[in-house]
Formats: sequence, structure tokens, C-alpha cells
Amino acid sequence: MQKIDKIVFGDNQFFGINHMSQDKAQELSEKFYDIKNIFKVYHIAFDGGIRGIMLNSNDRAKEICSYFRDNNNKFKDISWYPSVPYPHKYANLIAEKGILPTINEVLFKDNSALGVLGMVTKGGMAVLGKDEMKMMQMLIDTEMKMFKGLNLNTVFLQNIITDLMLGYGVKEVFYEYCEYIRKKYKCNAGLITQNLPYLKTKLEEWGIKDIVLCSSFNKIGYLMSPSVEEYIKATKNNDPADYQIMVMSTMASGAIPAKEAYEFINQQNIQSVVFGASSEKNIKETVSLQ
Amino acid sequence: MNSKTIKLAIIGMGRMGITHYSIINSHPDVIIESVADPSRLALSMISKYLKIKTFKNYEDLFKETNPDAVLVCTPPVLHYPIVKLAAEKGIHAFVEKPFTTKLSESSALRNLYSEKGLVNQVGYVNRFNDIFGKVKEFVEAGLIGKIVRFKSEMFSCTITHSDDGSGWRSSRDSGGGAVFEMASHAIDLVNFLVGKPDKIIGTSFNNIYSKNVEDAVSSTFLYENGITGTLYINWSDTSYRKPTNKIEIFGNGGRILADQYTIKVFLNKPNDEYKLRQGWNTVYITDVFKPVPFYVRGNEFTSQLYHFIDCIQGKTKINKCSFKDGADTIEIIENIFNDYEKNGRI
Repeated sequence: MQKIDKIVFGDNQFFGINHMSQDKAQELSEKFYDIKNIFKVYHIAFDGGIRGIMLNSNDRAKEICSYFRDNNNKFKDISWYPSVPYPHKYANLIAEKGILPTINEVLFKDNSALGVLGMVTKGGMAVLGKDEMKMMQMLIDTEMKMFKGLNLNTVFLQNIITDLMLGYGVKEVFYEYCEYIRKKYKCNAGLITQNLPYLKTKLEEWGIKDIVLCSSFNKIGYLMSPSVEEYIKATKNNDPADYQIMVMSTMASGAIPAKEAYEFINQQNIQSVVFGASSEKNIKETVSLQ
Repeated sequence: MNSKTIKLAIIGMGRMGITHYSIINSHPDVIIESVADPSRLALSMISKYLKIKTFKNYEDLFKETNPDAVLVCTPPVLHYPIVKLAAEKGIHAFVEKPFTTKLSESSALRNLYSEKGLVNQVGYVNRFNDIFGKVKEFVEAGLIGKIVRFKSEMFSCTITHSDDGSGWRSSRDSGGGAVFEMASHAIDLVNFLVGKPDKIIGTSFNNIYSKNVEDAVSSTFLYENGITGTLYINWSDTSYRKPTNKIEIFGNGGRILADQYTIKVFLNKPNDEYKLRQGWNTVYITDVFKPVPFYVRGNEFTSQLYHFIDCIQGKTKINKCSFKDGADTIEIIENIFNDYEKNGRI
């Protein structure tokens, strides 16, 4: 398994995502409307020594990827950590149309790159429906198109999908996802989860190893099921050769001051932190604390 | 299998059925035994990977299996016959919102379940959100004094293209439209936090993209005790990334503004019990959240299903969102439609 970066730069701040405050989300969304302001922040992060980028496959991510691809010679040493899919695209489509019509639309509309335009849409679904693993692979490829040509370290599956599938407890889905990512994209397979202890137990039970696990980790236990104590237990004796652990939400959406947050995080047996920030001061402060 | 194990069936494996399956499958005392759904594709995938019985319709499921409890997640128009049959068989029921599409059906189910003493719950998930739970605590503790006015709003970017008018979500008779699907949440929050209104006036609808159903709605709620409030829902608002409920309550002792993540509260007098200052205070979800054993879509989704199981196991006596609560919302929805038909057009 390829080693992951100790610090990875996240992307929520660029896309107007702030769970605690809609005003703050709006402010960020206006600030980063001009994509140049996004690149400015990336450069501040690079100047601070960060070499890893986590990016969710939403519409704006396309532009970001193109910029880095077009200037590839300048950013050769940057590692990429895409996360797929962009959940809200699917959530809204599914709410409007239902599950199968959504998959149908995503896979067969305007998706000539997959070379499936020749398939009659309904017939295509009927054939694919019998081969759900093939369908999953095609959905991953659709989401991954924008990252083409970038230096991939790990491809993460978003927690909404990981945790939904974890509830079903079907080994095959996890096994096939991880195998496909490793084979097709020649990089680590990663799973984002809000149930790290349970996911790790199940993966061990299934014999699925060599995976990067990414989860919230903070001293107040926010977005950590079932509890902060179980997280500490699950990571304490973990061998990073089996599972590399990357943590996010270390400051619990701002509920914990940076210094206090990292005093706790630095005591944990983890390999990496992913964080997002939009000011030079916050980026430098967070880097210095790790 | 021990005596407290609950055998569960899920009827309807659409978006909510799929989510609920994942969540409740994590409960140590629950065994999902069967599902029913008309989709052949869904059933073939389920039977390939999961060791459970599958049925094309609920009648066969009830005929051939004997579950202790059922989660009903079909289009709303089907809830009534399914839940009625479940009652006759003595099965506890969790039903997705909106409870039914007619008050007469909601009332009948409410009576049936209370006569039989079976556990009954409707899926108004905001009641299990830790922020709205805290708002209720603040209101009941009298922090903002006597309630005078409120505003309950809900926004999302669910419907953002013109439709061809097909599918159950595009028909009011099937339980589609912004009133049944979204206003029901905002109305239930009013019932939960302020109480049930006595009269509905001033209803107006807008079609933004949908052909046969409303995309935006507003209404005014009146109470015999003098409280008044307004409701505004828009499910075609692209400025919202995800569905958001907003509630504002003004009382003679202060004002509360809340969404799923934050409470802003202005108090005329400080409150020592809740450590709130005179003037503005902010309470975040990170201050009040209660951890859940398994997370899929937000703590509230797990809490509501675990609460249903707690009620069946007798660990909790009062259900936080019973069929009575579901019927109250349907009554208001009927009044909104009636008001619109009478007064909502020029």
C-alpha cells in the first residue's frame, strides 16, 4: 500500500459547505466564486508544505482538476485523494426521479466517454441491473473522469455510501470496490466512514486489508459512532500496514479550538489529518500544530 | 434468537426503505426477515446478497410471514391498506411521512392502533434532531415567555427541472407535491414546538417546475389563544444545497431562530439553568448532539428507528411521533388544500 501524506488539504471551504452557519457558507461561496481565489489558497497550502489534496467529484472540481492537469509540470509532487461520488447530485436526482432512473441518467446521458452511447437506455439498464458490480464500476469511472492524468494516492468512497453499505453487511461490495480501485486506478482504495470501529471490525472479519480509512476524529466525539472511546480503542493497536487511518473534523466544525484539538489528535495512533481552511493564518496554524 | 429479538419486515425498498434497512440492521435486537417491493431488479439484488425473504407485494408478505414489526416506506397513498392489514395482524408499525393522504384514513389507523395497544410511529425525523429537541426544551422551560408568533420554513433544491407529470411524486392523489412531501415536515415542527393550529387562512401555491403539483406554498396559522404563525415552503430553491428547516419563534420573553444545526436565542432575561445570557446566545449541534450507535444519514435517522424499537421493547412508554401526531399533520394539510381551493386563487 502506498503511504499516505501526513497532512492532506480538504475542499469543503471552497464549495460553500459549512454545516454550522449558512451565512459563513454563503460568504465562502462568494469568495470562491472566482476560481482564482481557490488556486491562491492551494498555493498558500503548498507553501506551507502540504503535498496532498482531497477533492470531492462535484461540478466545480472539474475546473480545479483541469488547472492542475494543464500545469502538471509545476505540480508533479502533489498527490491526489479524490472522494466519490458527489452525494448531493444523486440525492436530488433520486428524490426527484427514483433510484434506477437516476443511475440510468448518470450513466447513459451525455456520457460518451464511457462508450456506452450505443446502448438503448432502457435495455442498457436491464442488462446492467443483473450485473450490479459492473454498474458500480461504471459509476466510479463516471465520477473519476475528471481526475484523469493526476497523480492519485487514494480514491475514497464517500461515507454516505460506505456507511449505507456497511449497514447491509455485504462483503462483496467492499471487496469489489477496493479491488477495482487498486487495479484500474493503480492507487490505494479508501473508505470514508462515520462508524470507524464497526467498519474496521467488519473488514477484519472479511479479510479485506490494505485500505485507507478516513473518519471524523475529535475529542468531543462529534460524528463518531458509537463513541470517542471506541475510536481510541479501534485505532490504538492498529497496524498501518493493514489500515492507514486519516482523520477529519478534528476541530468538530469549530467547536474545539485548534490547539486543544491537536493536543488530543497528536496522542492518537493515526497516519494522516485532512483539514480545510481558507485563510493563510488558519492554514499555517493547523500545519504547525501537527 | 432471544425473547427480546424483534422480527422486522420492510415494505417499500425505495430511497427511505433502503436507508432504514441499513440503519435498523445494526440494531442488536432486530432481525430483518423479509422485504416487499414491486421492483424485480431490487428484489433480485436483495435475494442475491441478503439472507431474507422477498415478496412482490405486501399481501403475500403478511400471508407468509409473521413479523413483530413493520417499516412502511411505500408511496404514501399505499400506507392505509398496508397499515390496516398490519393492525389486523397485531404488528407494530413505523410509517414514513406523510402518514396517509386523507384525514379519514389517518384517523382510522390511529384509532385502530390505540385500540389494539400496538406501537405506532410516523417518520417525522426532525423530532429526533438534537437541535429541535433543545428548542422544545427551551420553549417548554419558558425561556422566551409566552409564544406570540412563529415562522416555519423549509427549503430544498429537490425539483429543479420541468417534469412530464408522471410518477407518484407528481400527483397529489398519490401523496406527491411540496405540501405532502415537504410542508408536512414544517407543519409537524409547528405541532411539535408550538401546538396544533385551530384555523388555516391565506394559503397560496406556486408552480415553478411541476406540472400537476405545487412547488411552493405559504399559509397562515391561527390559534384560539391568540398565537399566529406563517408557513413557507419551497422545494425548487437552488440556493439550498440540502433540505433545510428553519423555525423562528417570538415570545414576550425573547426569540428563538433555529435550523437543524444551530439555535440563536435572544433572551430578555438571563437563564442560569441553561447558562444563557441576556441578549444573544448561540447553541450549536456540537454542543447538544447525543451520539448514536450507528450513523448513516444523520443522528436523527438512527435515533428515530431505535426509539421505535425501544417502544416495542417497553423501554419507553410514550412514542415521540405517534399516529396521532401523524394524523394531526394530515388534518392541517387537508385544511391547507381546502383553504387553497376556496381562497387561494383569483
